[in-house]
Amino acid sequence: MTPARLAVAVALVAAAVALPHVAGPFWMGLVTQMIVFGLLALSVDLLLGHAGLFSVCHGSFFAVAAYTTAILQVRYGVPTALAAPAGLVAGTLLGLVFGLAVRTRGVYFILITIAFGYVVWGVAHRWSSFTGGDNGVTNVPFPAVGSWRVESHVEYYYLALAAAALLALGYRVLVRSPFGLALRGIKGSESRMRTLGYDSNRHLYAAFVLSAVLASMAGVLYVYYNRFVNPVAASFPVSVEAALMAIVGGTGTIAGPFIGSAIILGLRNWVSSFFELYAAVMGLVFIVAVLWVPEGLVGLALRLSGRTARG
Amino acid sequence: MSAAVEVAELVKEFGGLRAVDGVSLRVPSGERRVLIGPNGAGKTTLFHCVTGTLAPSAGRVTFFGRDVTRLPEHRRTALGMGRTFQISNVIADLTCLENVTLAALGTDPRKWMVQRPVTALVDVRRAAQASLELVGLAPQAGETVRRLSYGEQRQLELALALTARPRALFLDEPCAGLSPSERARIARLIGGLPRTLTVLMIEHDMDVALGLADRVTVLHRGRVILDGPPAEVQSDPQVREVYFGHV
Amino acid sequence: MTTSAILQAINGTSLAALLFLVASGFTVTFGLMRVVNMAYGAYYLLGGYVGLSLAEATGSFALGVLGGGLAIVVLGYLVDRFLIRYTGENHLAQVLLTVGLAFVIGDVALKIWGGDSLKVPLPPALRGAMELPGGLVYPTFRFALIVFGLVVAGLLWLLYTRTPIGAVVRAGVDDREQVAATGIDVDRLFVMVSALASFLAGTAGVVGGAFLTLYPGAEWEILVVALVVVIVGGLGSLGGAMIGALVVGLLDAYGRWLLPEFSYFVLFGPMAVLLLLRPRGIAGREA
Repeated sequence: MTPARLAVAVALVAAAVALPHVAGPFWMGLVTQMIVFGLLALSVDLLLGHAGLFSVCHGSFFAVAAYTTAILQVRYGVPTALAAPAGLVAGTLLGLVFGLAVRTRGVYFILITIAFGYVVWGVAHRWSSFTGGDNGVTNVPFPAVGSWRVESHVEYYYLALAAAALLALGYRVLVRSPFGLALRGIKGSESRMRTLGYDSNRHLYAAFVLSAVLASMAGVLYVYYNRFVNPVAASFPVSVEAALMAIVGGTGTIAGPFIGSAIILGLRNWVSSFFELYAAVMGLVFIVAVLWVPEGLVGLALRLSGRTARG
Repeated sequence: MSAAVEVAELVKEFGGLRAVDGVSLRVPSGERRVLIGPNGAGKTTLFHCVTGTLAPSAGRVTFFGRDVTRLPEHRRTALGMGRTFQISNVIADLTCLENVTLAALGTDPRKWMVQRPVTALVDVRRAAQASLELVGLAPQAGETVRRLSYGEQRQLELALALTARPRALFLDEPCAGLSPSERARIARLIGGLPRTLTVLMIEHDMDVALGLADRVTVLHRGRVILDGPPAEVQSDPQVREVYFGHV
Repeated sequence: MTTSAILQAINGTSLAALLFLVASGFTVTFGLMRVVNMAYGAYYLLGGYVGLSLAEATGSFALGVLGGGLAIVVLGYLVDRFLIRYTGENHLAQVLLTVGLAFVIGDVALKIWGGDSLKVPLPPALRGAMELPGGLVYPTFRFALIVFGLVVAGLLWLLYTRTPIGAVVRAGVDDREQVAATGIDVDRLFVMVSALASFLAGTAGVVGGAFLTLYPGAEWEILVVALVVVIVGGLGSLGGAMIGALVVGLLDAYGRWLLPEFSYFVLFGPMAVLLLLRPRGIAGREA
């Protein structure tokens, strides 16, 4: 890491740690959201930026994990130590099933993930006897493991921050590993990789499942922050926005999805405070991003400073 | 001692068109076999069927005695097939070194490793650099492939095929699109390969082909019309007609 | 029990007719122009709303259908010319762009027509129910919809397989460069095909709005189901869209009847089977 980058990283960490002491609960809540959705965007980017697959169903894993944890804690009184991992497992299991989609490529893959995502939304919406329908599951308590329990939003903020940092670090290790390089190879030329001896379908399936695991973790973090979950978490806009966050921030990087998350959520918060049609504005952001900033802000910044984006 | 590559009555059909129409050939281990023929003769399609990129409609492919007709291509690579493509098929957004590293790991179980950086695999790195040195691309190791000249990409293409220590090499027009000096370089490289390696090559450049070949197989409209030593093929009237009389 | 089963079959078929209208445009647009347009659902909704307002203002359902279709033809042309054209063949960009567009359209529609479920008023001839052989009573309109769907499907099929223009489109779906090389004005062809697809989506909105009603979110629901049709039938195939629409329509109707809470799950079934057996769909082309 160059001295300049290190300085920026340190400054960011310092700012993140200091945040609850200098800003009010609104900002802290917003940044917590940015972290959680940044993780979701990161999970989408593992496939998009590294394997070349554009998946629009990651909200499903996010939501299934959230719902599982919520229902276990609220309805069955299961403690966090079991409910949280259960949520993770549930989302991962769904990932194992939806991973069928990697038998396709290109447009088919996109369309199938859209349809898969909708199936989950539909079930969350219609199976009201179990999921609570549109009302969702409410009154999710703060996490508590043994004698340790989160007592406030400030404490949860630090928990989310620490979790995200650990996950980002793990992600960094993953993308620098031989497996990560293989994914980028497949993204570049699947035919070449197959003749080099790689079973591309297996690699892509593994990547898909790993991304589902990450999305599930984001879902568990989300439900303890939000204290409630409803079908919106599994909706198409959430999945699509996660992809947009990765793109706006810069695909193929680690900071990119988080930066994108900050921008999108920040923008939405700001615009919705004075403009009723903020969904239209978000739509325009999509359009602008696609037409004018395809490599994302991180990519743009790196290009301007004369380097290429290397995760 | 079984042949390196044996193809029996291979047929490949697309819709109603037979690109390969009953081709049989036998390449002994260590031989340099060149396939020639006019455009559309089915040479590349034949290669695709032998290396597993395409599944044949009928016929059999045997590799060192083993029937590989239905084996997926990544498994054939593990058995020792290496190939290059007619149009450079390299991973443009990665560096040269990363490209050959992937080639080195292709048949290695460590390609699944997730917990350590790829740069920590010292033996792999060394093998990758050795490959680059062999084809003369060592100075460009850290360069993104997209920035290389076409000739350099063809060199990389060859390095990729050689890195995993194949037993048989399938080269599809390795000299295509290159300047004379680049062609000479590639020809030298191929000529310098050890005889433990069997080489099958599709080539249009007659000089290169006849200079390197132990034996030449001529294809026309999906069929073998002649199979013999270079001198015999060069003077054969049927071959001349196919190449020069054929519009 | 069997009368209910038959009723569901008719329900499914009428839904299939609607799905075909939306899916056929999407699939042919992709097959010919390699364009993925996720705003088709929004076209449906907006066309429906425009048709609704027209029908209410003029008292004519036919005018509503026509107006809804034409409005989308105009919108579709503008979108193609000023937005989609810049995405080339980048499907990711097209998806994001058209999703963004759908968000804009949806939000604007919400502002203009509000959040309540609105129903397109039917002409007296199509209201009420009719008696079918066997004593079944069924809403006239839904039956008319099946007829309408069959007529449109038949016309499209004739156009596609029996006319010179259709032959050119089919050739273009198979190999665009070759068609361009023959000197045919490919751009004009694209505009015409796209206009037809837009028209179908817009009219589908008005027609659908008469029995499914129009409401915020309907644009995504119809799009997803149309996507399943296209996946099952294969991208680029008109015949596939017909078969797919029938399969999905019937599955949806029976699903809603037998397993109301899991009806979306029923859609998952055929896709999963297809993925396992034939990832390219029933009659699809290379994506």
